[in-house]
Amino acid sequence: MKKRHRLFTKRNGFICAFLAPGIILFMVIYAYPLVNIFATSFCRWNYKNFQSPEFLGWENLFDNYIKMFTLDANFKMALINTVKWVVLTMVIQIPFTLLVALVLAKKPRGWKFTRNMFIIPNIISTAAIGLIFLNIYNPSRGIITEICNMISPGSNVNVLADEKYAFWGVTFAFILFGGSSCLLLLTQIFSIDPGIYEAARVDGASAGQIDRKIVLPLMRPMIGTVSIMAANYGLLLYNEIALITGGGPDNATFSLSYYIYRTALGSTKLNFARGNTAGVIQFILGILLVGCINKVFRTDQGD
Amino acid sequence: MKMRKNRLAAMSLAVCMAAAMALAGCGKTDGEVKEEEEDQNLPTITFTHGYYHDESEWPAAAEMRAIYEEFAEAHKDEFNFVIKADEGGAEGIYNTALNDLSSGEFYDIADFGGWNIVPVASESDAILDLKPYLDEDADFKDGVGVCYDQNLVDGKIYSVREQIEGVGFWYNSALFEQAGAQTPDQWQTWADFDTAVDKLVEAGIMPFGLNAGWPTNILLAGYSQRNEQSRAFYESGATVESFDDASFRESLAFMQDNVLQKIDSANFGPGGDDDEQYRTDFFDGKTAMLFNGVWDAGGAVDCAAGIENIKPATFPTDEPGKRAALLSGGTGFVVSNKLDEQQTEACIEFIKYMTSPEIASRIIEKGIGMAPGTAIDYDELLNKVETDDAKLLVEACRMCQKADVQALGLGNTFGDAEGEIQGKYAGLMDGSKTPEDVIKELDDFLAASE
Repeated sequence: MKKRHRLFTKRNGFICAFLAPGIILFMVIYAYPLVNIFATSFCRWNYKNFQSPEFLGWENLFDNYIKMFTLDANFKMALINTVKWVVLTMVIQIPFTLLVALVLAKKPRGWKFTRNMFIIPNIISTAAIGLIFLNIYNPSRGIITEICNMISPGSNVNVLADEKYAFWGVTFAFILFGGSSCLLLLTQIFSIDPGIYEAARVDGASAGQIDRKIVLPLMRPMIGTVSIMAANYGLLLYNEIALITGGGPDNATFSLSYYIYRTALGSTKLNFARGNTAGVIQFILGILLVGCINKVFRTDQGD
Repeated sequence: MKMRKNRLAAMSLAVCMAAAMALAGCGKTDGEVKEEEEDQNLPTITFTHGYYHDESEWPAAAEMRAIYEEFAEAHKDEFNFVIKADEGGAEGIYNTALNDLSSGEFYDIADFGGWNIVPVASESDAILDLKPYLDEDADFKDGVGVCYDQNLVDGKIYSVREQIEGVGFWYNSALFEQAGAQTPDQWQTWADFDTAVDKLVEAGIMPFGLNAGWPTNILLAGYSQRNEQSRAFYESGATVESFDDASFRESLAFMQDNVLQKIDSANFGPGGDDDEQYRTDFFDGKTAMLFNGVWDAGGAVDCAAGIENIKPATFPTDEPGKRAALLSGGTGFVVSNKLDEQQTEACIEFIKYMTSPEIASRIIEKGIGMAPGTAIDYDELLNKVETDDAKLLVEACRMCQKADVQALGLGNTFGDAEGEIQGKYAGLMDGSKTPEDVIKELDDFLAASE
């Protein structure tokens, strides 16, 4: 005779009691706003009906999405820029940080000092970084304009006022600052069993071969993790833009996050519905991004 | 046994609490208790403002707080006027109001310092129409000056201010003399502006510093007041359906050819709150004109350009001798419509006090800014103030108030489109955009924001 499992046991009660706070917090802090964002992206919700979003109706269900993709040049610019920043973090920040971690892991002279210096930009607030870069790019006293004038006299490059350069101005205000990722990568490198290196050396492997054939494959899950972190930073980029360019010149440095702010709160029209529609796109992009990176780096699999 | 102990403990606690309350009561005199009771019977109004700054940081803030406190003190027998400073400033007040509105609440009365809460608050039926109160009191109406017409929307006025943004421009007379150019006080039309700019450039003097924002917006708004057609288009800014207008096209062409392409990129900043190089350069004596409001009289103090060379001016028009200035009321005091009659009266009393000629004179005299009142005696004020910068401020305010054409600033006129317009300056400057391109892009923006 089969033994029947009782659902309402004392043990299950304890498990539920301990899980409940976490689940409730998750529902209130994450799930509810997320559902709200999705739901209101199919509504008309601006200063005219601030207290009560109004469903667009089944016939006009995707109005916000359609307008955003067909008419809104700022959204298109924000989407393109965001994708560019995600790609750039993957192809510049991650390889650069990995290279720094591999070099520092060999513990050359002054490695601790270099490591600490490398982490400094990550512990300074983005507001301070923004102000530093504003000064660096300043057309009348900034070092970039000075250098450009030395190379090409009279060029008077104005990084933040020129559409051609402003995107790169914002990019370089964050792209090389991979200190946190570097620390994680270093920790992973140091956790590799030294016996493996020893065995490789006995077999005649060079330092480069050890890095390529042993260290990098063993670090794959961690590289995947820091890639997700860095790509997410690119996806959610806001502070640098708000502080350095304000989205300009001519909205050439809009990001999705900045677009959401400007549409929902930075405008007297308070178009929350359109802002949330962009939020849905950002969310979908984020899910795709995490999924792709996990797939590429197989972060869910062991070593 | 245990129960008896608990009962004993509970009784002891109750006795202690009663004794504490009695002793607390003994701490007050009969007079104080009576006063407190009276206070409780008086209507209470909470006024929220953004002047939280320490006097050492911003003396004007301390002066404004003193003005509020004097009002509260003068009316303490009629109502409790509670003054609250929001350390988030006017922006913080605006954000709090948005949160409150979502739950159907609103401040009793608050000073929004230019942050436009009116559209959303009026649509939410949360704020009081001040027009009936203004219409029944001529002095009150005079006190709010341009705010009456500028803030009149659909027959209602939801906000007035005690300060307005008075904007013309400043010039360095020494640099004009050095270039042999006619000074702005002698200009008859915008053609004189062009001639003066050319002479300054020829003499190797940078005519002005600009950026993709505020100072350039001022100049565009100023030039838009040149004739009837351009003024008519400009006035329709809040409801504009297309930027495809001959006068606006002409304004953009002027900005491109006669303004932006007259300066080099080192004198054109990216814009934003921290980009004030154009001001620094003017007060350092490196540029001849500064497009900024009357409040920048304070910037002339101890400046390298020499305060004796700094002069205020208003814009010329294409109608010889006629002058134009930008006077923006914007959003200031906003009152809840959920207050009872006594509370509402107290709020109106406060706004009348804040827009009275006495307070208006004090605002100008203390260098806080420009008041909207039309009954201010500027000659008397000029004799009263002592410092050079205060005299400059009074003179600048008088010029703006006297201007034949008084228009709103670009932001108050075009709303969200202001940000789009200013985004185009860099393209106009480097020639990558034509006025036609700009108009098309602005129309696309209007279509997308519907």
